[in-house]
Amino acid sequence: MALPPDANQIPVLAAPAHLPRRRLRVRGTSITLLKEVRERAQADLGFDVDYELLDFITCQRQAAMQPDGYDIYEQCFHNLDIVWFWGALQPIDTQRIADWDKITDLSKEGGISKYAWRGHGDAPVRKLYVQPGGFLGPKQGRFISMLPTVHNMDSFGFDTRVFGNGDVKRPSWAWLLDRRAKGRIALVDEPAIGFFDAALAAEAAGELQFADIGNMTISEIDGLIALLEDRRRQGYFCGSWRTGEEAAQLLTQDRVSAQSMWSPVYGHLGKMAEVFVESAPLEGYRAWHGGASLSRHLAGAQLDMGYDYLNWWLDGYAGAVMARQGYYMSAPERTKAALAPEEWAYWYEGAPAARDLLGPAGAVVVKTGAKRAGGTYQDRANRIALWNTVMEEYNYAARAWDRFIRRVNEGQK
Amino acid sequence: MTQRSSNSLAQEPRYELITQVLRSNISSGLLPAGLVLLEGPIAALMQTSRIPVQAALRTLAAEGLVHRFDGRGYLVGSPDQDLAPLRRDIAAFDLNIPQQVDDALQTRGTWKHFYDEVEEQVALCQVFGEFRLVETELSDYLGVSRTVVRDVLSRLQERGLIRKNASSHWIAGPLTARTLREKFELRAIMEPAALRLAAPHIHYSKIESYRDRIGVDPTLKPEGLESALMTYCIAKASNTALVEMIQTNQMLLTSVNHALTGLGLPEDEIALDQYRTLFDLIARHPIDSAAEYLRDHLHIMASKNLARMKIVAVISETVGFAPYLVLQ
Repeated sequence: MALPPDANQIPVLAAPAHLPRRRLRVRGTSITLLKEVRERAQADLGFDVDYELLDFITCQRQAAMQPDGYDIYEQCFHNLDIVWFWGALQPIDTQRIADWDKITDLSKEGGISKYAWRGHGDAPVRKLYVQPGGFLGPKQGRFISMLPTVHNMDSFGFDTRVFGNGDVKRPSWAWLLDRRAKGRIALVDEPAIGFFDAALAAEAAGELQFADIGNMTISEIDGLIALLEDRRRQGYFCGSWRTGEEAAQLLTQDRVSAQSMWSPVYGHLGKMAEVFVESAPLEGYRAWHGGASLSRHLAGAQLDMGYDYLNWWLDGYAGAVMARQGYYMSAPERTKAALAPEEWAYWYEGAPAARDLLGPAGAVVVKTGAKRAGGTYQDRANRIALWNTVMEEYNYAARAWDRFIRRVNEGQK
Repeated sequence: MTQRSSNSLAQEPRYELITQVLRSNISSGLLPAGLVLLEGPIAALMQTSRIPVQAALRTLAAEGLVHRFDGRGYLVGSPDQDLAPLRRDIAAFDLNIPQQVDDALQTRGTWKHFYDEVEEQVALCQVFGEFRLVETELSDYLGVSRTVVRDVLSRLQERGLIRKNASSHWIAGPLTARTLREKFELRAIMEPAALRLAAPHIHYSKIESYRDRIGVDPTLKPEGLESALMTYCIAKASNTALVEMIQTNQMLLTSVNHALTGLGLPEDEIALDQYRTLFDLIARHPIDSAAEYLRDHLHIMASKNLARMKIVAVISETVGFAPYLVLQ
């Protein structure tokens, strides 16, 4: 390499002997890869934590196909059907997770109580435990595929100017295909998520019926895509989004009246927050569960750092940051200790906000007196209609979905 | 001879097929020890050139089934038997040549040249959706006549890779989880039954030697073991119609598996252990235990294949398709 012309003016110093800083690389999504989490983790753990923030689909693909590029994979249980079976991860030994016994039954058993309805599709417990032959299943054992952490029950958001405030007529997933919102509807572009928002809408609207919405047949998938295609031609959809920022943008530009939503987005709507609100749908929620996994290449000291990081996640601080963007933690006791009582009361207990509440980055996301849609954690978790799922026919559904979304975004006739 | 352009053996190299025929006829005693085997008459009988016959004889010599002697050709049997050469026309022995091998030997047209390439492209595209095969484009792509293209297409059809739709277009795919599930359900019904029927005819020493190589010989892959199970056990069943159905049912699975591995999907290491147990049961236990285990094994294989069918979703369509394949 040629030296710069003034190279001789740069004083050459003897580099002090030093050990390279220890570093843990995390690949994940905007769900958990927050600056506030990373900075505190570094301070508490004494090593660098590097984040690689990707959208859901890209994250899943790269985690599956390039496991050497990360140490920790932070994503959702449903994409273990992809990433685990690419052989990208290694089992987590629960004996090395100090607070394993503090993780709740929703994560470990599949429902918040023995009698709670499990929901259609794949409850996270069905992907949690490593079974003989390298499969994943609900039969409990010492080794798990992913440490359950953050989760939520998702719904759609709607414009009260179009649909009313939801008191008289309760919100239904059917609103995602409602004529009143024609031209102002957007879906999240993730075939294990947005696809089900659309499926719930189709069923709620009485357009289609699925024998098992969590594991559709080819003809059911074809039927759903045909319905969506018909609505697309009629001009129902204004777009799709892959990240919370994109979802917020569609709203702040006043382009949507009903769309798939993720909880943190509600804190970033500006003046639209007055008219665009979260639904607690009649039919129940579409739930998801996130977690953290160990890349298959981790060993020795690097593996120890991985376990330190996983244990740190359950320690309370991360759970508190997650709560401030509307996400629940698998180990709520320590989260409660890390939250102010008013925060806990609003986010977990469905109580009116006793004061303005701040989001992870310090901005006000909840105004005094506001109440969380759907009520308490118990109420919401008892009303899970469906989990984000990678169905048996996922390959077929995902490709059909991609083609549909491409047409939505290109505005083809 | 009927023009049957397809069976699973048609993919095998010619010398392999000839080796199989000679080996089985020597093992069964039909070709007696001391018989002089000459390239010319064997080639005439098999309707091939001498080159694959030479290769077949060399393979059998390496296996100790035939040996060189002080004359032209080889003698059946091992050299330590000190045999007197027995000179008779091989055609007079009425060799037992399985129909499938015979067909495979007869149907080597020019299309065989590029068939494998086309099959791989067609098997692969189905993972991505439903495709139409355009005959004229395929003919241009291969640089051959429509007649040859039709040979290729009819073979693809027989292997279950393509079908004709209502408007007489050739259609491939989509390959779905349901197709895989159904094929594995059929396997779990037919193959354990065939294994039971085959019990008296199983090539036990072969199975033992395969079992002993598992985990020792790194070149031994699940596909090789699956094919050994077929050749030395299941295909020995006394019901040839059943064996044929089993082989036909497996064809699509084999091509797709090959195509998926070609895309970089991980291979299954756990299957090796299962084959070890299975081969051990076949070798040492009453056949019922082996048949039960085979059924469980196929059940697990079905789950593995369904899992594989999901993970392929992350592979983007930008892999590109041959110009004669048009996404519907």
